[in-house]
Amino acid sequence: MSWPSMLLAKQRLPLLGLVVLYLCAIALITLGASTITYAATETAGVAAEVTTESVETSAGFRDRLPFPAPKLQREDYPNIGFSSRSIVWVIAQMHLFFAAFVLAVPLFVLVIEWIGVKTGDERYDDMAHECMKISMTAYSITALFGGTLAFALFLLYPQFMAYMMNVFDSQVLVYAFLFFAESGFLYIYYYSWYRWRFGNSKWVHLTLGLMLNVVGTTLLLLANAWVTFMMAPSGVDDAGVVTGGIWEIMRGPLWNPINLHRFIANIAFGGAVIGAYAAYKFLSATDQRARAHYDWMGYTANFIAVLAFLPLPFAGYWLMAEIYAYSQQMGITAMGGILAWLFIVQAVLIGTILMASNYYLWSGMSRTAGSQRYTWLIKYIAAVLVVCFLIWVTPHTLILSAAEMKQLGGSNHYLLGPLGIMPAKNIAVNLMLIFTFLSFQLFRRADKEVTVAWAGFGNALMICIYIVAIINIIFAGIYYGYFTNTVYKVGSSVMQVVSTLIVIIAGVTIDTLMFKGANKLPSQWGKVSNRSQYALFALPVAFTWLMALMGYVRSSVRSHWHVYTVMKDNSPDNFIPAIGHAGNMMTIVTVLFLLFVLFIFWIASLSDRKQARPAYLSSDNT
Amino acid sequence: MASPDIEVNLNNRVYTWLLATILVVCLFYGMNHVIMSMQGLPLNFDLTPVQ
Repeated sequence: MSWPSMLLAKQRLPLLGLVVLYLCAIALITLGASTITYAATETAGVAAEVTTESVETSAGFRDRLPFPAPKLQREDYPNIGFSSRSIVWVIAQMHLFFAAFVLAVPLFVLVIEWIGVKTGDERYDDMAHECMKISMTAYSITALFGGTLAFALFLLYPQFMAYMMNVFDSQVLVYAFLFFAESGFLYIYYYSWYRWRFGNSKWVHLTLGLMLNVVGTTLLLLANAWVTFMMAPSGVDDAGVVTGGIWEIMRGPLWNPINLHRFIANIAFGGAVIGAYAAYKFLSATDQRARAHYDWMGYTANFIAVLAFLPLPFAGYWLMAEIYAYSQQMGITAMGGILAWLFIVQAVLIGTILMASNYYLWSGMSRTAGSQRYTWLIKYIAAVLVVCFLIWVTPHTLILSAAEMKQLGGSNHYLLGPLGIMPAKNIAVNLMLIFTFLSFQLFRRADKEVTVAWAGFGNALMICIYIVAIINIIFAGIYYGYFTNTVYKVGSSVMQVVSTLIVIIAGVTIDTLMFKGANKLPSQWGKVSNRSQYALFALPVAFTWLMALMGYVRSSVRSHWHVYTVMKDNSPDNFIPAIGHAGNMMTIVTVLFLLFVLFIFWIASLSDRKQARPAYLSSDNT
Repeated sequence: MASPDIEVNLNNRVYTWLLATILVVCLFYGMNHVIMSMQGLPLNFDLTPVQ
């Protein structure tokens, strides 16, 4: 069967239709938003031209047309006795954590709900509803932090916000309108869950979920435009005066890389937080049925988190490549200056995520006896992960005392120095991803017995793809990385990325075709070890820290600019803070978010418990 | 001496692995050339840089 006919097979048409509808709706809303704001800008422009003469005679109003970026002095920034940057830092990061979570959860909830409809298995429907229950409390907290952030920004950075309002104009009202729409769809979607559960009503409910995601994703894209405008402004001249329509302002060079990176990262983050909820419920469950349910829920959440996480580094590569292409200085600030040290911390956190994910997958394999076919491979996968992790965290230049440097013969160790540069790290990252995917593939295969006649060829093909991809990645890293010029060194990293993607895509495709109609071996849900659940807790902790860390790096590359090269930051905080201070801030927001997450879990559990009827009320009734 | 059945199976396994290896090596070799050429970095037959 050719791939178009497979794609258009009758049973896949509803899914295909949903995807097409989703994309069309996003395109329509985005275009609609840009048209409305463009029209508003145009109207304002015409009105401005008509009234220029009268405006120029009106004292005070003259400066507003055109509106260049204000050149601020220190005294233009309100001082409330505490670092304005620290206040905005904490509130903005908290808002982003929760926003990422509430935008991601409905995305995979819709898919889970749809799987429930297709398979007729109501467990999927119940699980999807439970995920939404957690998301509901988080949604309110997102809005609270969003409102607080807006107040904080207008209070502490009024001139900057005035400039941003001038640039984005009525787009901010479109954002506000979409927020109303998001709230409407969310509440109707959640509260109508059991009202519209079967038959045609279910399709109405699924459509509501689809619209919720369309609006949510559009909100994400609009908000990303503000961030990317600050990093790489477009649609304005050197003085910051708006020269183009809203679409030119939004469509900066970093907009799409950030859109993709945040979209994928949000799903991985949302999956990780739901996984922690499942682990929390699993560990506190007293009966086997509940343990089985939350074990399955944790497995599903981890599946979502890992699957979304695997392509994430490549979206990050794209973002960094675009940052370098836009401004080499900005790229060097990120990866060659003080912020470069934070990429070592990033390696530690991503290493933690990968190790925790692998450990959970290996533990989860114990649910079925079929896993015994693959357990011998685990020790080799673990060895590769540890070696690659150590290479990844090796810094290029060490911070040493004069005596230590003398003893070493320089700031670079003769063996560790070469491991500190990107070619070695690229090999390590790609191999870690490939071996994580191998764990994932073994985990998926553990409870199945293949029945197709071409299984031998399928397995041989898969093994060859793994071996050749690994050889190709190591060859490209060593040969082009150390023995050719820099241009080939950078270009070969794409070769490595594509090698890893071939493994992932081929693995998913071959397994999907090969295990169609396979014999299913029994799995014992709820029998997994408690240790594996702690791995599920480790995931959101590391993810949260990672988002705080890399969000800080992304924002810091603007250094002393509010809007890069257009509007200078002259506030008392117009410098990149010391690593220690930044680390403390990230840790504070991470701990704060996790405390809020525990609160959400507790709130979500409250509705499960009912107070026993007191004896005195029972006696009254009798 | 192996029976004809076993001989055929062994041959099949050898051919299977040979075919899979050739397919995959060709795929990755071609991919290396395409990816580097797309970036304006052509490679020689032995994968060394042209410049």
